[in-house]
Amino acid sequence: MKDRKPLYLMTPALAWLTAFMVIPCLLILALAFFRRGLYGGIEYTFTLENLALVFDPLYAGIFLKSAAIAGLSALIAVIIGYAAAFAIAAAPSRRQPILLFFAVLPFWSNYLVRTYAWIVLLNREGLITGLARWLGYDAEMPRLLYTEGAVVVGLVYNYLPFVILACYAPLSRLNPEIAEASRDLGASSWTTFRRVVLPMTVPGIATGFVFVFVLSIGNFVTPALLGGGQFQMIGNLIYAQFLTANDWPFGAALSMVLIAIMMGLLTLQTFATERASGAKREES
Amino acid sequence: MTQPLLSLRNVQKHFGTVRAVDGLNLDIQENEFFALLGASGSGKTTLLRMLAGFEVPTGGEILLDGKDVSNVPPNRRPVNLMFQSYALFPHMTIAQNVAYGLEMEKCPKAEIKTRVGEMLEIIQLSHLAGRKPDQLSGGQRQRVALGRALIKRPRLLLLDEPLGALDKKLRGDMQLELKRLQHEFGITFIIVTHDQEEALVMADRVAILKDGTLLQCASPHDIYERPNSRYAADFIGVMNFMPAKVSNGRLLGAHGKPVTAQIPEGLHEGADVVVAIRPERLKVSAPQGDAAGSLPRGRVLATAYHGLDLQLHLETELCADPITVRLTAQEADQIALSQGDQLELGWDAKDTRVFAA
Ligand SMILES: Nc1ncnc2c1ncn2[C@@H]1O[C@H](COP(=O)(O)OP(=O)(O)O)[C@@H](O)[C@H]1O
Ligand SMILES: [Mg+2]
Repeated sequence: MKDRKPLYLMTPALAWLTAFMVIPCLLILALAFFRRGLYGGIEYTFTLENLALVFDPLYAGIFLKSAAIAGLSALIAVIIGYAAAFAIAAAPSRRQPILLFFAVLPFWSNYLVRTYAWIVLLNREGLITGLARWLGYDAEMPRLLYTEGAVVVGLVYNYLPFVILACYAPLSRLNPEIAEASRDLGASSWTTFRRVVLPMTVPGIATGFVFVFVLSIGNFVTPALLGGGQFQMIGNLIYAQFLTANDWPFGAALSMVLIAIMMGLLTLQTFATERASGAKREES
Repeated sequence: MTQPLLSLRNVQKHFGTVRAVDGLNLDIQENEFFALLGASGSGKTTLLRMLAGFEVPTGGEILLDGKDVSNVPPNRRPVNLMFQSYALFPHMTIAQNVAYGLEMEKCPKAEIKTRVGEMLEIIQLSHLAGRKPDQLSGGQRQRVALGRALIKRPRLLLLDEPLGALDKKLRGDMQLELKRLQHEFGITFIIVTHDQEEALVMADRVAILKDGTLLQCASPHDIYERPNSRYAADFIGVMNFMPAKVSNGRLLGAHGKPVTAQIPEGLHEGADVVVAIRPERLKVSAPQGDAAGSLPRGRVLATAYHGLDLQLHLETELCADPITVRLTAQEADQIALSQGDQLELGWDAKDTRVFAA
């Protein structure tokens, strides 16, 4: 690098992150290698038992379940969010900022409030049941709240604005003449979308997907509120280790595996984005 | 007379109150190399986009081989457009870009392979077939865009300022190259440009657009030698304009003496006109006798040497702007010239055009 000045400007941020983020995290994660003492204490003898326990079928199952729910939420959020971003990018450029503003508006309200709102909607005698009754549906309503479906709905709803923003960026930067060139060369609108628009906006989709997945897999608020007590995701499990079971070493081991999964995905996504954009210019 | 390949009948395109194209009538024959020339905003791109199918005319008809195609979508027209931005697919290689149009026609794989190979030969990019567009130079990208459109063998190829992004030397080469390809493929080309020289060099016929209307449509020679309006005369090449007034069937110049000119019919007494003459039609000579001679005189303000010719800028009483004279190298050798010299200026009436002021 020729000019080092910009790097100096990063020093405060790096110092802050190191002091208040990286070091505490490492300290907690280090606990994973120690034994759990009696009455919730920590016995400082090295062990790999905690990490091994994570891969016990019981806990590995919760990991897989969480990954499945996070994956489903990310998939649904990407489909809905991409469609919305597409529509916004196709609107007259004057109106796009307003539409974007409305798309991310829910984001500015409190996470808990937003999630509680869904309880009101999905409740046994909530708004959705009320609406079905009003429309003349008399049979027994299936249970809506405290189901996996409710958790997925809550996660999708909460993280949708991320996806819209992530997909809007590449869609709005797309030169409309490129899609027109495809039409001009004989492609239908659908083929143009599939062969040109979609591949060119993969980076946005990947970013949106990984974002929702990573935020969902570790989430514990939404599963607790919308999934009810009987339903655990990995975030709830970690929460319980630290706050109720008082097994900090096992909680740390679970966190370590979760963080490893997240880091792996984020790295993969960065790599995919770079490849898809084909940005490796060979200056000659 | 054979049916024209393309006929425009009173074609209009209005965007709200903007009349981008305002009642065009034009016939283009098969195998023609046709140039649309006009200032920025004159409606050139809008016209091409209507021909390609991206805009539906708000009025009139576009006939291709005698059939109205105004409402046929772009992917169903035997017409291809080479975009001003080239609009290459950045995620595909050069070979994939060129193959795209044939894939859309559901050509057999083997045929696509040979035809893409041939096209890459023609546009001289075989060695870069596996590169992505952003790894190419401007000139190479331009050739990819051309190859991608030509491989479809359209009835009509539309080129929107195809050479606009290239440097001067490359433009000259590509002008000849485009003409060669047009001849070789036997495809009708409509090329848009705002560079009048480019239009004259390449085209069989040139049309001048102004504010969405057709001002003149003629061969490069006629456009240059017989412009039909002051705007056309000014737009193409260099032109000297001298103000004059009709008086007793003659034209009186700004200096109050008669001006040699071919006077068109229908000019009424006292009308204000301009007399237009090309720099290469003017003759200069060393002054003979006294200053009261019949020929107007000028003082040399500047000379500019261009290799083959010499341009003189003369200050005269004929008009406020300096008059430009172009002399061949031989002509220039016969008169010693230096700044401040007085010269006599002459021309033939048949070389002038007279327009309403
Ligand atoms: N989509 C559009 N909406 C509104 N006005 C347009 C649109 N496209 C072109 N125009 C207007 O039509 C006129 C002609 O534009 P254009 O065809 O691009 O000219 P050129 O290519 O000759 O520079 C301009 O005044 C331009 O602003
Ligand atoms: Mg244009």
